[in-house]
Amino acid sequence: MIEICETLKMPLRYIFIFFFLCPIIVIAQENTNDSTLKLLDEVVISGTRTENKVSNLPLPIEVINSKSIRQSGSQKLLEILQMQSGLVVASNPLGTALQGYPNPFGEGVQMQGLDPAYTLIMVDGEPLTGRNAGIINLGRIATGNIEQIEILKGTATSLYGSDALAGVINVITKIPVKNKISLNTHYASNNTLGINASANYIHKKASLQIFASRYSSDGYDLDKNIYGKTVDPFTDYAFNSKLLFPWNDKNKLTISARYFSDNQRNNYLIFPQSEPMIVNGNTIERDKSIFAKWQHKINASVNYFATLYTTAYTNNAAVFLERKDSLYERITLDQLLVKPEIQFNIGKDPAALFIAGAGYNIEKVNSSRYSSTKHLNSWYTYIQKQFHWKSKTNIIAGARFDKNSLYSAQLSPKLAIAYKINPSFILKGSVGAGFKAPDFRQQFLDFSNSLIGYTLLGARELGNGLLTLKKNGQIDNNINIEPYLDGVILSPEKSVGINLGFDYTMHNNSVFKINFFRNDISNLIETYNLPFNKINNQSIYSYVNVNKVFTEGGELVASHSFEKNFSISGSYQYLVAKDKEVVQKIKDKQLYKRDPITNETSLVSMSDYKGLYNRSRNTAQIRLQYNNILYKTSAFVAVKYRGRYGFNGLNGFQNGNDILDDPREFVHGFVLANATITKSIGQFTEVQGGMENIFNYTNKLQMPYLYGRGIFININFKL
Amino acid sequence: MKKMKLSMMAIAFIGTLVSCGKKDNTTPTPPPSVAVTDSIEIPFSTNNYALYSFKNKMRVTNSDSATTKWDIGIRFVSIILNSHASGVGNAGVISKNGIYDSYLTAPETGYAYDTTAATPAINASFTNGWYNYNDVTHAFSPKAGLFFVIRTADNHYVKMEITAVNYAGYTPPNPTPTTLIYKFRYSYQENGRNF
Repeated sequence: MIEICETLKMPLRYIFIFFFLCPIIVIAQENTNDSTLKLLDEVVISGTRTENKVSNLPLPIEVINSKSIRQSGSQKLLEILQMQSGLVVASNPLGTALQGYPNPFGEGVQMQGLDPAYTLIMVDGEPLTGRNAGIINLGRIATGNIEQIEILKGTATSLYGSDALAGVINVITKIPVKNKISLNTHYASNNTLGINASANYIHKKASLQIFASRYSSDGYDLDKNIYGKTVDPFTDYAFNSKLLFPWNDKNKLTISARYFSDNQRNNYLIFPQSEPMIVNGNTIERDKSIFAKWQHKINASVNYFATLYTTAYTNNAAVFLERKDSLYERITLDQLLVKPEIQFNIGKDPAALFIAGAGYNIEKVNSSRYSSTKHLNSWYTYIQKQFHWKSKTNIIAGARFDKNSLYSAQLSPKLAIAYKINPSFILKGSVGAGFKAPDFRQQFLDFSNSLIGYTLLGARELGNGLLTLKKNGQIDNNINIEPYLDGVILSPEKSVGINLGFDYTMHNNSVFKINFFRNDISNLIETYNLPFNKINNQSIYSYVNVNKVFTEGGELVASHSFEKNFSISGSYQYLVAKDKEVVQKIKDKQLYKRDPITNETSLVSMSDYKGLYNRSRNTAQIRLQYNNILYKTSAFVAVKYRGRYGFNGLNGFQNGNDILDDPREFVHGFVLANATITKSIGQFTEVQGGMENIFNYTNKLQMPYLYGRGIFININFKL
Repeated sequence: MKKMKLSMMAIAFIGTLVSCGKKDNTTPTPPPSVAVTDSIEIPFSTNNYALYSFKNKMRVTNSDSATTKWDIGIRFVSIILNSHASGVGNAGVISKNGIYDSYLTAPETGYAYDTTAATPAINASFTNGWYNYNDVTHAFSPKAGLFFVIRTADNHYVKMEITAVNYAGYTPPNPTPTTLIYKFRYSYQENGRNF
């Protein structure tokens, strides 16, 4: 308790500052007429690329609305997502190899048992770029400006192309509808300070929105025995602006821009020659984008929109030796994407449209670990037809064709069907093909480890890299590198995803949903060794398509509104994810385990094999939302359970196979709980107080992203 | 409870030691092979291979590298055999997948050797070598079910299994240990090819 009181002192100071700084800001409370959870009638765009009600879509799709986000009081997208049904925060395990160092890869969201790299992250329907080891830093998306988050589960490649294997997370930002100014302030443990302000201005038919946010934290240290913090201090800035200009009844122009900058301090120990040295530096991540959309209505049943999206991402990490003040290492990544697109929508009934679209991706990437600037161009076209059949059946059929300069053309079809047994009972099923293009790293990396001396070459870079090594005398002259000079053409990773389930609504206040899923993924890209070594006897690696995995399971979501102002929802996910090759090896009696105590070996049995690491078989979640109109107070409680999951090499365990087949390899399950109370004061001000990670769960080695129990206080003004 | 578990483990451990010993004493095939469990500690980073003789159950100094006194050499995770590109002996190896205990006779032919320094007979690469490398814990864990049938430098037969590779002088977060400890067991047959 003492700790909490100590930390409370700080926010109070800031609160007072704000009261004095902003006395003129008088706030009009926004009309909060949507006090019941709307689970079925939300309008989403991610499922079909046109606006559709969730209840009309034969797809598993969930919406986190702005009210839930506001009630939770959270400022972090990752935190909001991790409390959501079926989503699990996954780190790149490599990040945890750093033994207390800040994880340079960050965390992402695992969906249907697939790694973060297999979920497409979009803002207003346009993809974010700048994946670091497959993970997009979700901190790049400021939460203060979100209208809703649409989570589409299951392969969505037929609409969105590469990366949408597990599904899509589409963050929809707010649209200015009336004149408004708002200011939100946030203060939390670890001296975390968030301020964001937005202004809407409506002039005749045109509307403009400007949003700015600053978010900073001192970070935290989970292991005092190791030099440096677990999460280093950082400061983020985000600016968004959006201009909507309806030219006339038939034409509408939308222009939006996004800027994000993160400056993360680096301060840790390195061991260049087993003697420790301190390095200092910064990692600066920037993300800029401009988006323009022209909508034109040709007639009552035909309209189209043309868009141009440009996004530039840079990541520049540099650390300097403290003692000599000399550069130790600099790693840079610059990525540019220009994406023009056009989409025609044909039809009068919004639930029975035919859409056809085409676009072009121009990508350019440069990194300190690539030999030169790399280009990647692709074009694509997609069609989709949504239609009713005999009033009870709703069908979506679509396909997308992607033609890329680096790999073979991809055709990704999808079919989804909903059958209304009666108005409250709807069966849903979908099947689709998806793919994930080999990433730039797998194609172009040219990296030699200076400490150990191995070399890692992207598949396209293999020939060039080997020639350079040979020229520099790093490969023995007797070794024939001819067969490798053409490089390897990596195929995209491919998947087939099936989702089957039903939605059941009772008395208009209870919803019960079940969805079973299965994803079969082939051509997974892995590193492999070339059959010869360098002169220094170290390996040369490259990438190749090898593995096949599957994930399957079921997800159950139930929600109930007791009255207008009290709702509860819960969910449960069961998940099995396995490597098909491992399963085959066990069947063929080729896979052994070694008892770490007796050193005796024996065959691994099918029941020993528990599946892929870092997947929890069981996850569950409960959320309570309560509104008291009389006292203008609301409460929000979210609890998430993540069941045990495997971690390769947990506590030094090893039994001579690289698979999860021993109880000693499991990280225990845990519960995360957050609670927030919101009170409106007067008409214009809202005060929130909350506690995150109430049970104070931490795991410094496997989950360094979890700070222990923390508190926060928010003060929001609206005018 | 924990204590009980530990003592049970200890009993199990001693039990296997005893049963191992018994098995060795009652091996029916004459003449018996010699079963040895040994470990060697080698520098983590060095240019020299640690040379080992199965016959003498001990390490051989590097000054004897040009003789047939040694059979295998280990440096980091690379293993060499005393023949062809690596030595003057006649050593060879067959990498076997199966259960060490139930492997009873070495074949006469089929032994591989180090053709060049960069293409050793025993694959020691990260992705398909004789061990699994865990890039999170940096542990080298010998693949379970993999053992080596070796013809020694002077034409005797050995079956050999690496059971563990441990770090020593390893103080996290310093990623560089000072030594590696190899634990292995083998059966050495002076006469014939039966173990």
